[in-house]
Amino acid sequence: MILVVAEQRGGTLNRASWETIAAAQHIPGGVPIVVAVLGGSGGATTAAAQLAAAAVHEVVAVEHPSLEPYTADGFTAALQSLIGQLNPTSVLFPHTYQTRDFVPKLAARLDRALLTDVTGTKPSDDGALVFVRPMFQGKLTADVRPQGPAPHLVTFQIGSYRPDAAARGSSPAPVKTVAATLDGASVRQRPDQPYQEARQAVDLSQAERIVSVGRGIKGQEHLSVAQALADALKAELAASRPICDAGWLPMERQVGSSGQTVAPKLYVALGISGAIQHLVGMKGSNVIVAINKDPDAPIFEVADYGIVGDLFEVVPALVKALNE
Amino acid sequence: MNIAVCIKQVPTRDWQPRVNDGGTWIRDRDVTFETNEPDAYALEEALRLKEKHGGSVVACSVGPERVAQVLREALARGADRAIHVEHASVEASDAFVIAGALAAAVRDERFDLVLTGLQSDDQGFAQTGVVLAERLGFAHATIIMEVQIESSTVRVKRELEGGWFQWVAMPLPAVLTIQSGINHLRYATLKGIMAAKKKEIRKVAMPAGLAARQHIVRLYAPQKVKRTELITGSPAEAAKTLVTRLRETARVI
Amino acid sequence: MIADAPNTFSTADLGARTYRFLADVLGQRQTLRERPLPGLAHALVFWGFVAFGLYTTVEYLKGLGIVDLTHTRWFAAYRILLTPFAIGVLVGIVGLALRRAVIRPVGLGQTVSIESLVIAGFIATLMITFLLAWRLDEASLAGQVNWWVHALVILAFLALIPASKHFHLVLSPVTVFLKSPELGNVPNLDFEKEQVGLEAVKDLGSKTVLDAFTCVECGRCQVNCPAWGAGKALNPKTLILQTQDALLARKPDTKLVDLYSDEVLWQCTTCGACENQCPVGIEHLPLIIGARRGLVSNGEAPDYLGGVYNHLERRGNIWGLGSDQRQKFVHASGLETFDPRVHDVLVWLGCAGAFEADFQRSLRALFDILRGRGVKFGVLAKERCTGDSAKRTGNEYLFQELAHQNIEDLRAAGPKTIVASCPHCVKTIGNDYRKFGYEVEIVHSAAFVEALTRGDQSVAGNPRERVTYHDPCYLGRYAGTFDEPRALLTRFGAEVTEPTRNRDNPYCCGAGGGLLFADKDEEPGSRISDVRFRQLQETGAGTIVTACPFCTIMLKGAQSSAAAVGGAGEIQFVDLMTFANGRLSKVG
Repeated sequence: MILVVAEQRGGTLNRASWETIAAAQHIPGGVPIVVAVLGGSGGATTAAAQLAAAAVHEVVAVEHPSLEPYTADGFTAALQSLIGQLNPTSVLFPHTYQTRDFVPKLAARLDRALLTDVTGTKPSDDGALVFVRPMFQGKLTADVRPQGPAPHLVTFQIGSYRPDAAARGSSPAPVKTVAATLDGASVRQRPDQPYQEARQAVDLSQAERIVSVGRGIKGQEHLSVAQALADALKAELAASRPICDAGWLPMERQVGSSGQTVAPKLYVALGISGAIQHLVGMKGSNVIVAINKDPDAPIFEVADYGIVGDLFEVVPALVKALNE
Repeated sequence: MNIAVCIKQVPTRDWQPRVNDGGTWIRDRDVTFETNEPDAYALEEALRLKEKHGGSVVACSVGPERVAQVLREALARGADRAIHVEHASVEASDAFVIAGALAAAVRDERFDLVLTGLQSDDQGFAQTGVVLAERLGFAHATIIMEVQIESSTVRVKRELEGGWFQWVAMPLPAVLTIQSGINHLRYATLKGIMAAKKKEIRKVAMPAGLAARQHIVRLYAPQKVKRTELITGSPAEAAKTLVTRLRETARVI
Repeated sequence: MIADAPNTFSTADLGARTYRFLADVLGQRQTLRERPLPGLAHALVFWGFVAFGLYTTVEYLKGLGIVDLTHTRWFAAYRILLTPFAIGVLVGIVGLALRRAVIRPVGLGQTVSIESLVIAGFIATLMITFLLAWRLDEASLAGQVNWWVHALVILAFLALIPASKHFHLVLSPVTVFLKSPELGNVPNLDFEKEQVGLEAVKDLGSKTVLDAFTCVECGRCQVNCPAWGAGKALNPKTLILQTQDALLARKPDTKLVDLYSDEVLWQCTTCGACENQCPVGIEHLPLIIGARRGLVSNGEAPDYLGGVYNHLERRGNIWGLGSDQRQKFVHASGLETFDPRVHDVLVWLGCAGAFEADFQRSLRALFDILRGRGVKFGVLAKERCTGDSAKRTGNEYLFQELAHQNIEDLRAAGPKTIVASCPHCVKTIGNDYRKFGYEVEIVHSAAFVEALTRGDQSVAGNPRERVTYHDPCYLGRYAGTFDEPRALLTRFGAEVTEPTRNRDNPYCCGAGGGLLFADKDEEPGSRISDVRFRQLQETGAGTIVTACPFCTIMLKGAQSSAAAVGGAGEIQFVDLMTFANGRLSKVG
């Protein structure tokens, strides 16, 4: 049996849970899949009801007042006992910030193998499963085998499987709610409520998405063009030095060696040629999009996607495409 | 406040990957090594805590002879002494082996805090700190962006996904894994380098009975290489293609 | 005081020192160079003083009753010869006094120095009494009074000298002789001796102490300083006078950072203008960089430098970028790894060459030119930053780490000649590496290509293209390479319009001394680069030609900032190699 541990907060499922279900379904052999979801009273059951849509053997909601909010000690203890009861061959998790916090502890307590950040699985010559994971910051890929007795614990990199690739069942899977075996007093972490940093303080270094403008924007009055794209992408607006020097945007929105160093998931550079002082401030971005009239602009050297064209034509089209 | 900082020595980030003939590990001889970046931030945080609360900072690492280099750098930056667990076969070591070795080396020292980076630039397990906490019986928290000491407890700011944060308190002793960027790294000063020569690096043998829980069958270059994809067509067409790429290939929106 | 200070005197390279002594002291070259008129006035006074030396001695021998030589024939002839000198001194000193009291140039400070006017009065009196002696009977009362006035003024003058800046009469010949023949010579620290740089007044070297008391407060360093020119707090003259005050106050433990202030110490671009323009042999850079070393050794460098140091330490370049980008450039440009059996020269790319798009274009132009002329060249398999920014900002440890690794690689590669397009690399490898015993010929591409194309026919079109050329400090001032770029430009069709401050005394772009990344807290418009960009703009040329990657970065940045507020005009940037190559390919 494969146990998939889904992740929820306040009854809302983390989409990555579906990706992990897809990963489990992808493993050949038709091993039955049980999905577990942990939480306080109510939250886990609500999430479990959604998970029942998946083509799985069973969904188990594991509830205990000490499981909401999440703590590493609480989750480790609850899952230790659940794994003891279910005796799965493998336990799969999404590789989220939460699982990174407690799964290594769980593996250490069980003294079982843990493979993290896995992007796929493939069968080997002897029929046993081999797990694929990046190493050396993605410069190399490794085929890895867990060692020692089952169950083996595996976390899957977000985005390795598509959430909509998780097969839905013809009828809802049975849902079971169980009380976790857990002594609340053994939980040492005392968490406060999660929060987002205050909005008024611009902290580009924490931004997930950034739309950045350079001299190609030509005038302060055209900033609304970039702002519209930022709104459509739920991104922060940023700029290169000349724009902030001219006072069109405040200095705290400047990206580059004389401003902020940023590493968002998405960085859209509009009319930025890519002077080296700018590049050193944003080179760590996950995905870089460059829109510039000059095909020789150095920004295209670092971009993942580039459009050579007039930003005043491309950006409104982009906003339209995003809103469709 | 007595703090241990666990540091890993990893290939420099600009290292050109080369795999050994057997395809099971990298070709060590072409590599220049440096301190794992998140560990550098962990060391910096430890030094700042020491400056604020007093106590000592001890740098610890597991690995072959060359590991002494990163320990010396830690001493130059202000660590008081270092522990080097001598271990030749890094390639066969997973987080269980490394954490087991570290646990044996620091267990008797009664540290209040153990800091390390949230993951390493080489194998990238993101496990060692947490496994170490379990082996030591310490509370822990991961991906830390701020540390506050309040007598016998520690309050930390954890980074969650999507721009969310959370403060968590726990009793000392504790293990914290530090996120890159939590602070500004100091550089090694001449005075620090001179002082480091007089500091102790204690060598410890690898404890017996540690077995790796995973095995690399094959190591190879990934197929995809990052290239700029130039999207052509009319503005409307290009915009549509770009949105599709961002949604479905890059998955950033 | 000098005896108490750590000894930093050196007389190495006697030939260069002697030449400079003759030119600058006896020839008054430095005094004349920048301010021809006041310089001439000073020279007249100086030459007069030298000429009068013997006269004064003879008169005193007589006055003291030792021996009377005044009635010998040669003395009479000597006296006649002195007359034009006396007139010269008189004209000179009146001119100088008027300049100080009436014209009051900014470099001389805000208040008129009474002491200087008294001294001028003394000198004038000496000359007038000398000239009057021709008309007065020596035995008459008037003659006696005249003689006594002359003698007493000399005594007063001698008494005043040690207590005033006119002590330079005595000290400056020594200081000029002891000044390093190499501009900006900041000797490498010896870590074995636990040297960490200058922290307190007691650490100041003997040459710096001598410098402090030699200063004549002429203000050449001040008016030539680009930081001062851009309205910053740094004034090199103030630094020297503060040093003098601190030494006189006898507080050896005063921290240098408290004496000069942190802000001031980190505003220096190490352009060398102060040191180069000083007529009395003062060396500012060992003081400024020495004090920076003291700060860096204690971990007190500015935040932005902390980042740069970590980049240098971990990535071997100031940008913090990965060496795979250099590989990409090397590969895309079809460069071979240097082999002395195959290649004539080694081209040193530099950290800008490895990573910066504009400079890569410049290097590709250089490669084209070299290939077109059949020069076989290769590059190192791996390069680190030469350590220039570490050296100039006082991170000596990091500098030496980088230097030793590079020297090892260079020695293994074994080039006889290195060509580099970055003047900072030229200075660091050519001067600083030499002190570790690594001798190599390193040439900036401007000089190399100029020599290579010297036989070429001029390709001047009609009309010639009007350009202005910005001399990089490390090329024009440090390396003395200012004729070659102009020759190249003229040869390939340009008419060079000179900006203010050029050739061996350019105005800095603001990047040197690790200040490339320092603009975070600077008010836009007040950056050194903004000032220089405006100076270049004022030439009215359509093109600014540059020959240093950092100048290009800074000046283009200034242009972008100016353009955003509509003040950049239509001026374009071309680097020297691209310019030359473009015109070369036109002629085929």
